[in-house]
Amino acid sequence: MVHAAILLAGVVAVVFAVLMATQKSLYACAVCLLAVLLQTAAIFYFLGAPLVAFLQVMIYAGAVMVLVVVTIMAAPAENARAVNKPSAPWLLAVLGVLAPLGEAAWALSRGEFSQGVGWGASAAQMQVGAVLFGPYAVATEAVGFLIFLSALAVIDLNRSRP
Amino acid sequence: MNQAVWAACFVLFAAGLSLLVFRRELLAMLLGLELMVNAANIGVVYGASLAGDASGLSAALLIIAVAAAEAVIGLSLILRVYQSGRSPESDALKELHG
Repeated sequence: MVHAAILLAGVVAVVFAVLMATQKSLYACAVCLLAVLLQTAAIFYFLGAPLVAFLQVMIYAGAVMVLVVVTIMAAPAENARAVNKPSAPWLLAVLGVLAPLGEAAWALSRGEFSQGVGWGASAAQMQVGAVLFGPYAVATEAVGFLIFLSALAVIDLNRSRP
Repeated sequence: MNQAVWAACFVLFAAGLSLLVFRRELLAMLLGLELMVNAANIGVVYGASLAGDASGLSAALLIIAVAAAEAVIGLSLILRVYQSGRSPESDALKELHG
């Protein structure tokens, strides 16, 4: 059952990825990417890594996609091409939201999904914190410093210059 | 199952690569890059899940954080290009100075 759910999420992700590669409108591209990110989070959940799935939804499908939409809104109108073709993004958005909702309903209706396909994925997930601040401590600090530097860069890039 | 997951990773990566190579808009190229990182992350989490390895899951979390930072920097640069009034297509950007 878990394998079928992973296959379903993978097929939907592939369909939206192909749609994303063929769409001209940037809005449609962003909506397709959002659907792919949500399907990826579903795959992570079914693989027994709900923490990674949660962060995928929070960071990727949440924060990054908000920034992408704001950037598209700031784009010149001829570049976004959203005004001329409003129907396709709406249809894609409905499909992209319905697919993960259906998968979530399917997952909630059955209890065995949270175990995942991995033999020790749930046990390994409990050790993530110990690994991040143990053998991977330097990498974790480096990533934190990188995020700090990116925040500084964003502030400097968007500062108005004379 | 194994082949299906790796095939999905490959197709997602190929779709992102096609966006990166064939599109001219900077934002579409950045979205393709995000798709490629996402495809790689699926492979990392799948391998970690099969092996029950906490290091793989930790690497996936770090990849998500790095990808978010990269997206923020890229989107800020694109916004800067929009504000400067230049064309947001990669062909038109030939100078690095502000």
